[in-house]
Amino acid sequence: MATLMIEAPVGAGEGRARLAALGTLSRRRLSLAVRTPRELFVPLITPILFALVIAPALKSALHTSAAYESFVALGTVGLLIPLNTMFAGVSVIIDRESGAQRELLAAPIPRWLMVAGNLAVALAVTAFQLVALIAVALARGIEFHATATGIAWFVATAALFATGMYGVAETLASRVPKQEEYIARVPAVAIVPWFLAGSLFPIDALPGFLAWVARLLPLTHGLAVMRYGLLGDASGLRHIWGGGDPTRLAAMSVGVVFAFAVAFTAVSIKVFSRKAVR
Amino acid sequence: MAIAIAEGVDEEVWGNQPPTDGVHVRDLAKTYPGDVEALRGVSFNVHPGETFGLVGPNGAGKSTTIGILTTTVRATRGEAIVGGFDVSTQPLRARAVSSVVFQEPVVDHSLSGRRNLEIHVRLWRVDRAVAGSRIDDLAEALELGDVLDRPVETYSGGQRRRLEIARALVSAPKVLFLDEPTVGLDPRIRHELLGAIGTLRDRGDTTIVLTTHYLDEAERLCDRLAIVHQGSIVAMDTPAALLASMGTEVLDVRAPGLFQSAAATLRVHGVAGADSFVVGSTLTVPLHGWTSSAAIAAVRELDLPGASINTRPPTLDDVYLRLTGDRIVEAA
Repeated sequence: MATLMIEAPVGAGEGRARLAALGTLSRRRLSLAVRTPRELFVPLITPILFALVIAPALKSALHTSAAYESFVALGTVGLLIPLNTMFAGVSVIIDRESGAQRELLAAPIPRWLMVAGNLAVALAVTAFQLVALIAVALARGIEFHATATGIAWFVATAALFATGMYGVAETLASRVPKQEEYIARVPAVAIVPWFLAGSLFPIDALPGFLAWVARLLPLTHGLAVMRYGLLGDASGLRHIWGGGDPTRLAAMSVGVVFAFAVAFTAVSIKVFSRKAVR
Repeated sequence: MAIAIAEGVDEEVWGNQPPTDGVHVRDLAKTYPGDVEALRGVSFNVHPGETFGLVGPNGAGKSTTIGILTTTVRATRGEAIVGGFDVSTQPLRARAVSSVVFQEPVVDHSLSGRRNLEIHVRLWRVDRAVAGSRIDDLAEALELGDVLDRPVETYSGGQRRRLEIARALVSAPKVLFLDEPTVGLDPRIRHELLGAIGTLRDRGDTTIVLTTHYLDEAERLCDRLAIVHQGSIVAMDTPAALLASMGTEVLDVRAPGLFQSAAATLRVHGVAGADSFVVGSTLTVPLHGWTSSAAIAAVRELDLPGASINTRPPTLDDVYLRLTGDRIVEAA
């Protein structure tokens, strides 16, 4: 038997039907997520701890300026997004092991829609958590210097980075058979890059080799653009690219994050579709 | 003998006529990684409105067949058409006209039963105008009305199973796949569920393919059965015809340690034919042309120490064991 799964061409009516199916899948995932509050709140704990407790403590101990708190507060976004998306990946495994994933696989919808539905909810939950983190930081007296354009840089970069990280999580969840094995990989995927990506200190403080590794990480680019957007601080971009117009440097870094998002979304759909059918 | 043995099945499968409704399977094979051959060229037709059973031991290839027909398993070879659509080239359409109840629970436990049904309704694009009343009608028919708005995690095993059946039916599928629908259920719930499936079968507007290893439920529910063994169909016919292939009576000879010599001797004396079979230390012999008293007398003359002998009407279990167990030819 030919193994190619040919799907019907998409007309306007079919496009609307797929949008409706995406809405159904997203609402389903959201309904499940709100019934498991750990998905919403647990990923917030560590970043808030860093932003509100550890950063002020470091500032005080190291006698740095108030700007350091803002620097770290945004650095914690680089921890929050990977943690949240990796938690979303756990839900994919639960869905496969004891949920209704097989029912969805037998539904008359293209299977990439299942990944897209999960991604939509991961982005919505990430947005909620970012708003919560920034609101708590503002309440703690941490200052941001954002313009409308700066906020746009921040939102676009955060959305793209979250998309790419969800692709990583979905890919891992599809490839790893058990929750335990998945959880064991979370620190390597979500936390190790965070320490290297200029979250707590600029990457030029790293040894030369590690600084080059940091420049290759999408998270480094993401954090640099987010700081440029919300703090007006282009130093992270210069540490990556050298000198130049900050807007151009930011666009180049967004390009890196965009490529990361597109690549891992494509990989996650391919891996999910292949693994879903035995 | 009316029994259709697998070798002859190919010729009856769709010939020159393009299949339309029902389920049509030709030369389906599946080899999993590690060279595990789950299916070795299975062919069968299920006519529209027919209830067709795939019966066989664990690992026979029943669930793999259902997996291919529901497009969750990719066939290595062969063709399969569900409700008029080829599962390999038109998977969305094949899925649109079919529903499946899986062997293990496949529900969103933290959502309510109604929400599970609504998700199915939307994904299968059931007209909203009819979806609500169809959900209510099914909930009433399957006695789920009182629990429909509760989270599924509070359901009993039987309620959850009935919910899965309601979910499969709410899109009014042309083809319904039931993969071991009663496995793991207590006798009362199993009885209720068989009643529900029987009602559905009697309506005759849905083609049903079910797998089971319970011969009694296959006999009760199925218009025709295929007995699957080691990835191949070894027999396919109506339950009555399969049963008739065993004659009107069978002889059981329980002779611990001696069944091989007993089998050989009974064969020499013409009591046991090639369709006799051994399970454990019991030799079962279909009595074609022998009366039970004559057969018992013949066995007693053999003077088998410690042997117990009895005769009884054959059951579908005998058909199944004869086709999937050790034949006398191998045993003797």
